Amino acid sequence: MLLSIALLVPWVSGALLVALDGRRRAVAWLAVVALAANLAVLGVLAAEVSTGGVAQVVTGGWPVGVGIVLRADALGVAFAALSVLVLLAAAAHEAIGGVRSRTFPGLVVLLSAGLTGLFVTADVFSFYVFFELAMTASYALSAYGGKRRQLRAALVFTAVNLLGSFIFLLSVAGAYRVTGALAMDQVAQRLLTVNPNAAVLIAAGFFTAFSVKLGLFPFHFWLPTVYAGARPAVAAILSGAVANIGSYGLLRFGVALFPEQLRLAGVALVVLGAASIVYGGVMAVARGDAAEMLAYSAIGQVGYVLVALGVGGPVGLTAAVLYSAVNSLNKALLFLASGVRGALVAAAFALGALSVAGVPPAAGFVGKLELFRTGVVAGSAALVVLLVVGSALSLVYLFQVYQRRFWRADPQAVGAASPLAQRLLTAALALLVLALGVWPEPLLAFSGHAVEALLAGNSP
Amino acid sequence: MRPGGRDGAPDAVVRVVARLLPGPSLMVAAGLIAKGYAEVGDGFAAGVIVALAIAPSYVALGAEGVEAALPVLRHAPAVAVGGLLLALASGFFPLLLGEPPVSHRPAPGEHVVKIGALELFTPLLLDIGVFLLVVGVLTVLLHQFGRPRREGGR
Repeated sequence: MLLSIALLVPWVSGALLVALDGRRRAVAWLAVVALAANLAVLGVLAAEVSTGGVAQVVTGGWPVGVGIVLRADALGVAFAALSVLVLLAAAAHEAIGGVRSRTFPGLVVLLSAGLTGLFVTADVFSFYVFFELAMTASYALSAYGGKRRQLRAALVFTAVNLLGSFIFLLSVAGAYRVTGALAMDQVAQRLLTVNPNAAVLIAAGFFTAFSVKLGLFPFHFWLPTVYAGARPAVAAILSGAVANIGSYGLLRFGVALFPEQLRLAGVALVVLGAASIVYGGVMAVARGDAAEMLAYSAIGQVGYVLVALGVGGPVGLTAAVLYSAVNSLNKALLFLASGVRGALVAAAFALGALSVAGVPPAAGFVGKLELFRTGVVAGSAALVVLLVVGSALSLVYLFQVYQRRFWRADPQAVGAASPLAQRLLTAALALLVLALGVWPEPLLAFSGHAVEALLAGNSP
Repeated sequence: MRPGGRDGAPDAVVRVVARLLPGPSLMVAAGLIAKGYAEVGDGFAAGVIVALAIAPSYVALGAEGVEAALPVLRHAPAVAVGGLLLALASGFFPLLLGEPPVSHRPAPGEHVVKIGALELFTPLLLDIGVFLLVVGVLTVLLHQFGRPRREGGR
């Protein structure tokens, strides 16, 4: 019941809001209220499933396998709540500053419907449907602003991600072809007995599709143009909420559907992740523009998630979940802060930078700590060295930007300060990152539950 | 309406076909929705067919021309939103009755009123909703592509 409401709230309010003129203040704030309501429902749902339970609905009351299964476990709800939180921050940011297009508020709420849906579905095809709902809303959002820069970003984003969606759909079709099922449980069971070559091919298809979403190293080519070209709120949405599809997909499909293939590909994933970390870090150091630097930094940061996933096991997977969560908050904070000027902002940006680098008071430290544990458990000195190098690089590039933006007495940069409410919002997000670093137990416990829920499906 | 001729406007054949297509396409769409429960067809396919039939009119007459001839097309955004809400309502109304979403009335096994091949039950509303959504969204896209350049520059 609660699960259905979590879907119904953003879907209906998004449909209504997209018809209204979003440039009106009231409409923008209604969207913020709708997102807050969605987040509240997800929060209650999270409290329900945090102890290892699941909320499950089979549509139409049909038997499993006929009706579509919606199942919210700790992993799905955690990603859904996180993504909606980022959307809420970005929507509030734009609502304060003044929305510039008719459809922005409605599209953000529809995006939240798509994301909520795909994080709580246990059916491969309805995952694709919600995925497309979310992506369609993001395509429209990426053009937000309407200038040449934004339109170029939107064109690149749409072209590359349509290709990614197509590969995903092909893989869904392949999975259906060899297993004859679409419910994730059944697909996972039947995949054990299918031709290993076919299974590897399908797994590689899913991996490619999710890597494109996430912007991992060999599939990252679209990302800098898009993140640097889009408006800050949209960049925050894309990197803080939409990219979660990629990390969630890798976790859910990799661990629950293709555990054998994931084990085989472990080393390859670690290598790809390492390449992402080094490439993203080095390129970010070489960039002067804040948005472009953050874009390359995003490529580097998702590398850590892939490394943790490649190492696998409860420790590695917990680190992957935790780091995805922390990273999505970091990115939302940094992108939003990069679009705001005035007092408080420098402090917020610095906190985000410390979090990305993994320096103690911020949440990023907890994420890095879990990654170090992963490296130690894997017994790999190279991995630990890689983590240190990656963190050092991020510290270098972030403080380069910090120095350029906030320490320079540049009359242009000093310009008009942003509204106080917008700065307070950024500061609140920074405080959240700080709070999660100072009191990390809830986040750690929830990531642990999420991985338990994920692994529970594997050993019936 | 723009005159045909030297400025590259479509010729008479396109204009005649464009005028003739939308009517029959509605019948095909109705057929697809009606038989969709036993054979191939559903609201999505029906919507795409109607939108494809409307497309030549936008090619032949331009956005202004076609919307002067068929004023209902101006309401495409409202049609899309109304369709989505109708589909959502028919999917989620069972929540009010304490049943899982997408349950339908009359329930499986119960008596269904039939008009020919058309079965009157709540999934029909879902298909009509999806049909309206698809037609509405595609028409909005056609409008964006078909409007004159000076308008597009804004």
